[in-house]
Amino acid sequence: MNCVIEGSCIKVFGKAVHALSRIGDELWLDPMVKGLALRSVSSALSAYGGFLFSPLFFQQYSLRSLSEQHRQAIKCKVLMKSVLSLFRCLTSIERSVQECHISITTPTDRVMIQFICRHGITKTHNLSFQESEAVEAMFATHLCPNVLKAPARLLGDMVAHFPVFQEEITLSTTPLKVCLRNYQEGGKGHMKMTCTEMSLHPDEFDHFQIGEDSDITFCLKELRGILSFAASHCLPVSVHFGAAGNPVCFSVKDEVVDATVVLATLNNSESRGPPQPETPAPATPRCADAAVLPVGVCEEHERVLSSQGSPEWIHPLPRISGPTRLCEAEECASTTATPASTKICSLLFKALSSEEEDDEDDGCTARLPVLARYSDEDENDEDYPARSSTVRVEF
Amino acid sequence: MKFRGKIIDVACLNHFSRVVTTISRLTKTCVLRLTPDHLFFILSGKVSNGGVSMWCELLQVNFFDEYQMDGVSSEFNEICLEVSPENLSRALKTVQSAKSVKIKLTKKHCPCLTITAELPTLSSISRVVTHDVPVDVVPRSLWHEFKEPSVPDFDVSIYLPPLKTMKNVVDRMKNLSNFLVMEANMNGDMNLKIQTDLVSVTTHFRDLGNPPWGGDTSQDGAASQSRDPEDMAEVRVDIRKLQQFLVGQQVNPSRAMCNLVHQNVVHLVLLHEDVSLQYFLPAVA
Repeated sequence: MNCVIEGSCIKVFGKAVHALSRIGDELWLDPMVKGLALRSVSSALSAYGGFLFSPLFFQQYSLRSLSEQHRQAIKCKVLMKSVLSLFRCLTSIERSVQECHISITTPTDRVMIQFICRHGITKTHNLSFQESEAVEAMFATHLCPNVLKAPARLLGDMVAHFPVFQEEITLSTTPLKVCLRNYQEGGKGHMKMTCTEMSLHPDEFDHFQIGEDSDITFCLKELRGILSFAASHCLPVSVHFGAAGNPVCFSVKDEVVDATVVLATLNNSESRGPPQPETPAPATPRCADAAVLPVGVCEEHERVLSSQGSPEWIHPLPRISGPTRLCEAEECASTTATPASTKICSLLFKALSSEEEDDEDDGCTARLPVLARYSDEDENDEDYPARSSTVRVEF
Repeated sequence: MKFRGKIIDVACLNHFSRVVTTISRLTKTCVLRLTPDHLFFILSGKVSNGGVSMWCELLQVNFFDEYQMDGVSSEFNEICLEVSPENLSRALKTVQSAKSVKIKLTKKHCPCLTITAELPTLSSISRVVTHDVPVDVVPRSLWHEFKEPSVPDFDVSIYLPPLKTMKNVVDRMKNLSNFLVMEANMNGDMNLKIQTDLVSVTTHFRDLGNPPWGGDTSQDGAASQSRDPEDMAEVRVDIRKLQQFLVGQQVNPSRAMCNLVHQNVVHLVLLHEDVSLQYFLPAVA
């Protein structure tokens, strides 16, 4: 994959990296026909962020170089820290960088990010990547009973009232008003924290559809990134959500960028158990289970068992039988933090990407060995290729 | 016990927030004492905070458009609350653009100072933001700890150099030593000195001027008049506490002065139009 970003778009790209850096420690680069997707997943698998840049965003965009026509475009992940450090100071980038070239090529085994700056300076950064299948959270926004569309600054201004260290907030909606307040876990120690609450009138939203009253609690830190992105581009933010326990999806769209953040929400009906990471689409923030989109009651009971840490629970596996059931499995499955479960997660993710790119798919079975390697490497940090970022300044 | 205050003026709100922010930089918790005419932020000198004490006095009428309070009893018409000024400061900072801000003493899960702000919006309906800042009521038996400190029987009283300059000097010195000696005389000279095994650094300030106390505050009037103007009074203080004081100052005061009791205490006094701040730094061995 080769692409060139020019001028002010570099800052937009940088802002997307900033937003994703709030979510996870790794950045997935997913070049597709419909554009380059940047994705990140939180380590607890409770948040997902994805920014899709259409080919129009780039001055040049090609999936494969001439020498690589026979291969598929490489999908990989890099350390978020490495990429973030390149785009950290957006104001200086805006001032001095004229073009940004990004390419992923196998001969060098590196993602090359090159900044063509003013005064004839070229900065080249080579980041090692790890080949990895794309990750994506499946979220059926059309099934959500509640949809809000807020003008650009509204949500950003609202969350500014919460202190920076506030972990989670609760969004309560009724047909008459929308209320945001900070969420505090029980316990005497937290009695001494400031409680902040604010309410918004339906008229303040561009679109206000509340099918059912709901009270959802989700992580604020992970949300701030996309709100800041929306505010800086004056784009409205769409919020799709349902009852507590179902994930909430924040999305921002314009002609060239499509950004989505999916966050798990706390399931109020269940008692708090020990932290259990679960897959993103039905995932939970650190504790309790999350129910997912329209699933029967029996599903929830099964998930209760899983959250209590039963490692033998491999219920999702039978569901991941054929491609047609993959989406459903994605939505329904949830796992505990065992090696088996990371395999399941990667199976789900992998299955999804093969679902998406049928044109490039060589067949599920051919991909499975890649998965096993992924999950193994996940457990064993030493296998991760050593980071090297070389900067060459040319005059 | 009741308290209800309302600020409408943007400048007053801004000023009040800045005062609270300054206090928050000086101490993690303090006592807010409310009387019919004044608000006081008080930190009493205790071993736990290194003997440092602070007294900040605000004239209520200069900030609040509405101010009503009912104290503990008619005889003791005051309210004393222990509060974290940082919580207050954070709550006030976010509502700087509000049309009005109300501060009330309420009882939620615990006694709280509830800050309710009405924010302007494009539509006719205002947005309301509420912050419940938890507080502790200080029982009357402890009120004696929070009385106005008397001006000490100082040896030297001198105007401070520009606080920003002082801050820069103290910042650099902090890297070299934990203790700093402040010395000054009645001739407008002040020195800030540090001394370590390897190095000693002194910064000299001249022609600062001495406030005309006129002997009415000094009990021993005769002694201070006979004092040689070149005689330096010195106090060795913890440099971090001094730096904390200087870092917190956001607004240039109309008057800034310092009273030194030789090898005893440094009494810093800042006067703004409607706020006065006193800070006591004890001498360290």
